[in-house]
Amino acid sequence: MRPLAVAGVLAVAVGLLAALDRGIAAAISPTSAVVTLLGVLGLVQGVRYANARRDRRRLPTDPGEPERRAPAAVPGSDLDERIARVASAAPGSYRDRRDLRDRVREVAVDAVTRDRNCSAAAAAAAVDDGTWTDDPAAAAFFDSRSTYPLRIRLSAGIRGRSNYWYGLRAAVDEIGRIQGGAA
Amino acid sequence: MSDPSGAAVASESSESEQGGAEAGSAARKKADESNADEANADESNANDGVATGQVSETTVEGNETPGEGGDSTATASTDAPTDRERRREVATDRWLGIAGAALALVGLGVLVRQSSLLLAGAVGVGYAVYARAGDAPTPTLSVTRSVSDEAPAPGDEVRVTVRAVNVGETALPDLRLSDGVPPGLAVVDGPARVATALRPGTAVTFEYTVRAARGDHEWEPLTAITRDAAGARERSTALDAPTSIACTPELTAGGDLPLRGLTTVNHGRVPTDVGGAGVEFHATREYRRGDPLKRIDWNRRARTGELSTVELREERAATVVLLVDARESAYVAADPDAETAVEASVAAAGQAFSALLDGGDRVGIAALSPLDCWLPPGSGTVHAARGRETLATDPALAPTPSDGRFYRSLWLRRFRRRLPVDAQVLFFTPLVDDTAATLARRIDAHGHLVTVLSPDPTTTETAGQRLTTFERRQRLRSLRSAGIRAVEWGDDSFPVAVAAATRRWSR
Repeated sequence: MRPLAVAGVLAVAVGLLAALDRGIAAAISPTSAVVTLLGVLGLVQGVRYANARRDRRRLPTDPGEPERRAPAAVPGSDLDERIARVASAAPGSYRDRRDLRDRVREVAVDAVTRDRNCSAAAAAAAVDDGTWTDDPAAAAFFDSRSTYPLRIRLSAGIRGRSNYWYGLRAAVDEIGRIQGGAA
Repeated sequence: MSDPSGAAVASESSESEQGGAEAGSAARKKADESNADEANADESNANDGVATGQVSETTVEGNETPGEGGDSTATASTDAPTDRERRREVATDRWLGIAGAALALVGLGVLVRQSSLLLAGAVGVGYAVYARAGDAPTPTLSVTRSVSDEAPAPGDEVRVTVRAVNVGETALPDLRLSDGVPPGLAVVDGPARVATALRPGTAVTFEYTVRAARGDHEWEPLTAITRDAAGARERSTALDAPTSIACTPELTAGGDLPLRGLTTVNHGRVPTDVGGAGVEFHATREYRRGDPLKRIDWNRRARTGELSTVELREERAATVVLLVDARESAYVAADPDAETAVEASVAAAGQAFSALLDGGDRVGIAALSPLDCWLPPGSGTVHAARGRETLATDPALAPTPSDGRFYRSLWLRRFRRRLPVDAQVLFFTPLVDDTAATLARRIDAHGHLVTVLSPDPTTTETAGQRLTTFERRQRLRSLRSAGIRAVEWGDDSFPVAVAAATRRWSR
């Protein structure tokens, strides 16, 4: 850019001199084509500069909300964020999904153990083979062999969510139902 | 001295852009209502107030001191500029592209050979130069913050008055002040900010009301945002005017909790399995010489002819340590604006503290927190006052989470070293993570009988919240099955929950 800047400074200097000394102005005496060219150049450059405003993110100082008390965290909101992260239909985040599934499974096994008054091993077996619930989506969440019902797969496809998300919600709902019945 | 022209500048600037300006005008509107208060204190202020309202701007003459509020306490001198710290300086980009627009106009003018367009372009060039001419001034302000009550009771409304005088040489054409209200306090009346313009020697005053809550609350530095006249550059400065209030709740006894059977040798009110003097029947045994006559079982003597002595259950005092979970994870609530579980725990601990002290037990306080908090078990009125102070203002139990990392094993080692051998622990925790449950088990395993008291902060709206609720219930159940007593309370008050739970417990 340096040569361009030098050219710019020279042009301005010549312009100023021309304003003072008419002789220089008469010596330059540009043709109408050159003037048009300069006009086009000015217009194009001007529009280009003005456009810089368009995609610039303005970051004024934010005084925040001093009037509000520091908000408390709601228990489970971090989990909701994790669920939202793994809920996208895109594959990957396998480890996150597995960790979350293990967490839900632990609660499910505990709920079934108390509901059926059986051993933890029997409850774990029931959860793993899907016999712990009548809800096919909740069953499919833990059992890799059974598939999600067509209704869920369709709506997951349309809404761009994963089957996993529907399965997780169904499983948590089912645990709530079991615990509600047991309480 | 009133200064109508200054006031006009203030209202002009407040109309320019952004939320801060709205805040200023809102404060001004409110001001008219309470002008009468100011009238007694400061004549010139009251006259001026008709035009500017509560956000009044006055010219400072000599050593004039702020006059509002007879009972207010000034915390900084009026003359000396307040310590400041430059935070950030940025271009607001308000005029970004104006040079481009001017150049485009000139270019168009040349292209179509129209001198009027060229002239219009020249106007744009003027604006571009205007935008680049100034720099955002660094404010030299003397800030005074006063509060109507430095030691309010919880729930009291505290009026806060902030006065800023421009003691510098430069005028501040666009000044926004946003006060650093402590994060544990909520403003209930008026915005804690103002937007105005200040010439050298003029002052602005704004007021707002906070509702006091338990704890030691320290104001953070006031943020001053200044802009140059064109609003092209912006500078933010922190002005430190230290102010604090301490809100210490009265402790009322409540939640008369039956303690577990770990006691000291001193007489008290916890029934033990030791036979001796007391009121409740414990056992009978063979008569020994020297047993008091009134303890001899005369019915049995009449029936069988044998002498036997009735033993009564001895009642002894206990040493109790109230342990409050104040790790960052315990600062949770069912609603972001609701009281946190730490507040509920501290309130319940206060009730238990009073009830136990009244019953003759020795009570201490500790916090599960990155900061150290330990009040050794004791009794007496001095200890009661110390306990009240600890629960109200100890930094470890502050209304907002303390910084720093919590090291579980380090904490446990220190806690065990301090804990008297015969102490039992009342552990106040929302139980939203496994650490709290594990610690309860480990303390119990070391022979200090633990009772877990858990405020319930969970809700069941989303899947994540429900899962957290189930996990917490599971933790409570596993604690109970491990022989640890656990009480939880949500909407009920703590004493009601304790009374309900106590009925289920055996000694």
